[in-house]
Amino acid sequence: MSVSSEQLAKDLKNIVGEDHVHTGLFERINYADTSLPYDVAQGDLPDCVVQPANAQEVSEVLKYANEHKVPVTTYGSGTSLIFGTKPKHHGITLSTERLNSLEINEDHQWFECGAGIKTGQVIKELGKLGYFLPIQTQIGSSVGGAVSINTLGHLTDNIFGRPVNNVLALEVVLATGEILETGSKCLRRAAGWDLARIFIGSEGILGIITKIRMVLIPMPETVDAVGFFKTVEEIGHAIGMMYKNKYPLPMDGEFVGEKACKVGYEALGLDFPEGAMAITRSMGRTKEDAAKNAQEMVKLFKSAGATESFILDDPEIAEKVWGVRENAMRWGKEKGLKGYLATEVNPAVPRLAEAMTELTHITEGRNDLIGQTEAYLYGHVGSDSLHCLFAFPYSWSTEKMKQVVDEIWNLEKELQLKYDGVGGDWGWLPHRVPFFREKYGETSYELIKKMKQLFDPNNILNRGNVEGEV
Amino acid sequence: MNEEQREENIERDLNEALISCEKCHFCNTVCPVVDTRVTQGPFGINRAIYYGLQWNEFNEELRDLVYSCTTCNKCVEMCKKVSRALPLVEIIEKAREFLLVEKMAGPMPEQVGVLKNMHVRGNPWGNPSHERTKWAEGLDIKFASPDNKVDVLYFVGCASSYDAQGQKIAKNLSKILKQAGINFGILENETCSGHEARRMGETGLFAYLSEANMEMFKQAEINHIVTGDPHSFYSFTKEYPDQDNDFTVQHYTQFLNELIDDGRLKLTTKLNKTVTYHDPCYLGRHSEMFEEPRKLIQSIPGVTLVEIEDNKKDSDCCGMGGGRMWMEPPKGLISSQAIAEKRVHQALDTGAEILLTACPFCNITLNDAVKSLEKEGTIKVMDITELIAMSL
Repeated sequence: MSVSSEQLAKDLKNIVGEDHVHTGLFERINYADTSLPYDVAQGDLPDCVVQPANAQEVSEVLKYANEHKVPVTTYGSGTSLIFGTKPKHHGITLSTERLNSLEINEDHQWFECGAGIKTGQVIKELGKLGYFLPIQTQIGSSVGGAVSINTLGHLTDNIFGRPVNNVLALEVVLATGEILETGSKCLRRAAGWDLARIFIGSEGILGIITKIRMVLIPMPETVDAVGFFKTVEEIGHAIGMMYKNKYPLPMDGEFVGEKACKVGYEALGLDFPEGAMAITRSMGRTKEDAAKNAQEMVKLFKSAGATESFILDDPEIAEKVWGVRENAMRWGKEKGLKGYLATEVNPAVPRLAEAMTELTHITEGRNDLIGQTEAYLYGHVGSDSLHCLFAFPYSWSTEKMKQVVDEIWNLEKELQLKYDGVGGDWGWLPHRVPFFREKYGETSYELIKKMKQLFDPNNILNRGNVEGEV
Repeated sequence: MNEEQREENIERDLNEALISCEKCHFCNTVCPVVDTRVTQGPFGINRAIYYGLQWNEFNEELRDLVYSCTTCNKCVEMCKKVSRALPLVEIIEKAREFLLVEKMAGPMPEQVGVLKNMHVRGNPWGNPSHERTKWAEGLDIKFASPDNKVDVLYFVGCASSYDAQGQKIAKNLSKILKQAGINFGILENETCSGHEARRMGETGLFAYLSEANMEMFKQAEINHIVTGDPHSFYSFTKEYPDQDNDFTVQHYTQFLNELIDDGRLKLTTKLNKTVTYHDPCYLGRHSEMFEEPRKLIQSIPGVTLVEIEDNKKDSDCCGMGGGRMWMEPPKGLISSQAIAEKRVHQALDTGAEILLTACPFCNITLNDAVKSLEKEGTIKVMDITELIAMSL
């Protein structure tokens, strides 16, 4: 970096205006903090946070940063669970939060939004007109962030598809400042080269997405069903049967493991059958279609050994059932434990039940720090993502927390390799770089580094993420 | 407990509450103060408090963030629903107390005089205390005392005592109570409930004012209080000392429903109005009173209630709670007017001709927002009492 922090802030103010460059300590802390269980270090803050209002301003910022070789970390909402937004080399944190426009064009059958708009807001506005956002990440996450890692959150992959299937076009600013318009304005995506697809899922290392055009999807009718099982393993077998026997796939399928159910039932005062729980959201063009599909799920669950299964047509019971799933993060509070949502395993369908069982007992008989944690299993089974929340005492030192985090990530890598997973919810960079290298080999990893070099010769964008720095 | 121990205790309480944050950001998604920066909402404010304590940094930047919260409690409901059920607003209020009492870093500069006014004159605006009951002149309203016993004490509150818009509430509610034949009165020396002092972190002043009011209630032999101010209502029922005292406190929406149910209050004039209702934070989310105002509105002949987009537990704030009535947020933090205007836009979307509320603060703020949006010809802001008075 060839410029002082003071000069950097002064120069950036000339580009985006004084009100949109933040150098205060608490601003910089908030843009550096992550979901890691330990604190951000005083030396890990960005020099300043800059909030451009449009692609032109982003372009000016990047031209400046590229000229002065200042690292630029892009920040959408800070909800990344693999710490892509944590600045590893100070410099600029470029927040897309002001890129929050939204235009819904029913004539063209697409909507266009700024990268920083939150998915919750888009879901709400699309919903008013009877459309559905095929990205169901947490409502505070940014659309740009979701597109940049090509995630669709909880939804089943092969119903609506991922952002790469639904994005028509992107506006992207390159590290060198050029603004690219990619994709189409018609509903037909280009066959062959479509540069939008290069940037979707590239995790912000090739350019900064500033605007997204996505196809409008009519809101489906939905009906939920629940199944109570003695063990989570039975749920794994049920999902295997669902695919093999060509059941109508639910657009969202969730499960909660035995231990997590117990805590959830206790927290909410529920008298549900002991064991694990699966919830599905079936869809249809009409309510009747959706109900018919949900009934199929009940049939599936019963044939797979559910002790009880029914349609969630009573709103009060439905709220309680979803409450158990939503209350996942409350576990451990009463025991003075700090929860850390740290793993995602996506087993191949035939090994789903086995993986679920292994994760259920993951802390047992271990001599490492993981063995001293409490693990709670839950996740998605429409397309499978098994999440484990590891809880440990608040009183652990930062060093001890860092050690357990390392152990957990290593464990995640081993399990993903064992069960053929890919990290389907959260992306790769930075902390899954070792997993990527082992899974796909050094040639693939080097290819990504070469692409980064080509697009970003001074390595200013999200510096440290490809390198696997956390 | 000496000063040092007290400071350590507050620090410990704040740390214990903040350390379990999962940093999920859900709280920020519902905060009315969040505009375009993560730092602006409960997530950012609480992380700032946490790191302030860890790094021993208590500067103006932290103060501005901590005092920007409206204390609307929407984040608390969200955290309860999906995360660790952290008492986010309590933490912010405790941090305000910490900054004000221990670090001499609070409140906001404009609030210093407000707190002084509450202490010296018994109201935040610094109006003469002898003018507090001026609104009641000529209305033949009793001053409650042992010699002038009343069945119901109407606790008016500062806004309804001094503000022209608020005084309408006081006059209308008095008219309604008279019509129902209630033996009611007000306190000749009523003073501020202290609710807003507590929100600003001045817990000592709150204690002083609450004791003063409790003493007056006792001396006037009060056993039933009705108020039109949800802020006072909340403090009386949740924060005043001696909670097991033997008097009942009601918001007027509760009391008027009772009067209608037992036939003492009759609403006879048909109004033919379409209205929507804004849930005040301290009546709704904080006191969980959602149905009482709706039942009251629906008991007015000819009135059709259409719900506003965010309602009941999800209601948006008017922007003036938590001490914001007396401060303009520093540059870079969202203004109260912008928050209120957003709410008025939601009300306009309903097509209602009247935006009802049941709080003098909300009434003042939303009225100002209607004016700033130049929508006076489209929608009117009223307290429910105004509509009830029209239908008598």
